[in-house]
Amino acid sequence: MPHVIELDNLSVKLGRRVVLEDITCRLGATGGGRAIGLLGPNGAGKSTLIRTLLGFHRPLNGSARILGYDCHRFPRDVRTRIGYMPETEAIIADLTAVAFLRLMGEISGLPPEAALEKAHEVLYHVGLGEARYRTLGTYSLGMRQMAKFAQAILHGPELLILDEPTNGLDPAARRRMLELIREMKEEHGMCVLLCSHLLHDVEEVCDEAVILHNGRVVHQADLEAERRANRRFVELEVTGDDSGLEAALRQAGAYAVRESAGRWRIVLPPGVELDALWAILASQNLGVHKLTHRRDSLEEIFLKAVGHIRETPGDEARREQEMAHGRL
Amino acid sequence: MAVYKRGYQRYQGPLTTHAARVMAFPRFAWRRLLNQRLVLIALIVSLIWPLLCLGYIYLANNLDLLKTMGGVAPVFKVDGHFFLVFMNVQAVFATLLAALAGPGLVAPDLANGALPLYFSRPISRLDYAVARLAVLGGMLSLITWVPGLILILMQCGMAGWSWIRPNWSMAAGLLAGFVLWVLLVSMVALACSAYVRMRLIAGGLVLGFFFVLAGMEQVLNQVLRTNWATLLNPTRSSYFIWSGLLGVETPEGPGVRECALALAGMIALLAWILERKLRPVEVVA
Repeated sequence: MPHVIELDNLSVKLGRRVVLEDITCRLGATGGGRAIGLLGPNGAGKSTLIRTLLGFHRPLNGSARILGYDCHRFPRDVRTRIGYMPETEAIIADLTAVAFLRLMGEISGLPPEAALEKAHEVLYHVGLGEARYRTLGTYSLGMRQMAKFAQAILHGPELLILDEPTNGLDPAARRRMLELIREMKEEHGMCVLLCSHLLHDVEEVCDEAVILHNGRVVHQADLEAERRANRRFVELEVTGDDSGLEAALRQAGAYAVRESAGRWRIVLPPGVELDALWAILASQNLGVHKLTHRRDSLEEIFLKAVGHIRETPGDEARREQEMAHGRL
Repeated sequence: MAVYKRGYQRYQGPLTTHAARVMAFPRFAWRRLLNQRLVLIALIVSLIWPLLCLGYIYLANNLDLLKTMGGVAPVFKVDGHFFLVFMNVQAVFATLLAALAGPGLVAPDLANGALPLYFSRPISRLDYAVARLAVLGGMLSLITWVPGLILILMQCGMAGWSWIRPNWSMAAGLLAGFVLWVLLVSMVALACSAYVRMRLIAGGLVLGFFFVLAGMEQVLNQVLRTNWATLLNPTRSSYFIWSGLLGVETPEGPGVRECALALAGMIALLAWILERKLRPVEVVA
């Protein structure tokens, strides 16, 4: 099946430093809206990868393709099909929002009348309709983020590359931004590459995630599958003799890893509720010092991928299950 | 349906040609420049000298009119010297206009970080540089070779079309000389604008470029007792080239070919500066 982004042994060297090293992966199936999260700690190479996809950096080895077009050999074909929202401040401060978007539309290939019409339409859509004749220099940070988003979607690209789109947004604006991203994906069939350090944003809108660390892809996750698994993660701190806890949890169908004395990471599979956990803790005569639970599996995946934790409880059992079903 | 009721729809219509996309930059830039009062005043003032020259050509072809008015007819000649003076004056105005308009072209884009937005669209760095050159080139053409050719046409019209036959090389020389000057001045303005991100300083740097090199020429020529340092001064080199192109006796110093090579070298250096500066991202080695 063709993919939106195809990287083959991609290496990129900036100055004397190899920033991306031998990356091979396929991201996002073409033919429908799909969102790909690009994650990684600072300096992992996320921005370099985005800039390479935009044709700003020449690969040292290998190739990067977007929608089948080589990013370095056919930059014009690639750039016609993408919309880019940079992380950095990238506006023309003394232009009005309408003039700015009109210019961006025209250099994207829209005829002048269509560019003007789209500029108004998009500004209304992102919530800047009333402020569209103000110069961008007078906009707040949140409004500037929206203006940057508006210029990225103005020409109706097939792939939307968003670099930290929720940076500096208040909770309401952040929610609106995520809604817009989801709308572009689901209603307008755009593919989205979302680079963010906010795991929650990625988990909320993305269907798959790729994690970079030290210039390499260390993990590629199908978030849809993770969501379907509907596992619940529990962090637990107990007092008392917990030597029998792991066996009791396993008997109830949960997986657990003891991190240190009294500290546990537990995965509750679908069907096993928190009440069951409380019952086990009571039967073991353990005092609960702290109990937090969440469905956010991406943080677990991320921390494991970049080496902050060794493994997710239950992974071993899952691998065994998958091997039994012949998937590995 | 009203735009605010419509909601977002992906654009599915036809796309313009690549040239039309590139030309969007000059169209927007001209509109912005002409909204600046100082630029507009400079542009209007720059057209006064061509108007005076038009009057001169009229008088030169109507000496009888002066005689009937009781005056003594002075010697009015429309020749290479006349056009050389015209070019010198207009070159000064072109430089001033470039110093006013040029810094507002690239410096704000660099200061605002707008280059990644441009270059993430189907626009290359060369397209961008050409578009910015076209902004200045178009504006400076209005006060240089366009009025120059109008003067020649007027002279042809008044002196008879046979005038052009022995003087066609002068018309070609005027065009080539002005095109070279417009290219040089535009490149200096763009390079200064790309190098210094503050408009005011960039404007000063454009003028400084010409003054400092002229000063260096004088000092080196005096100290080394030569006249080859003239090659360092783009204004003087251009004067030598224009004199050669217009068939006027060139002053003592380097030849036209050497001056042309020196200017080509300067333009290449400025192009190199632009190539280094006009990048979507800066890579620190």
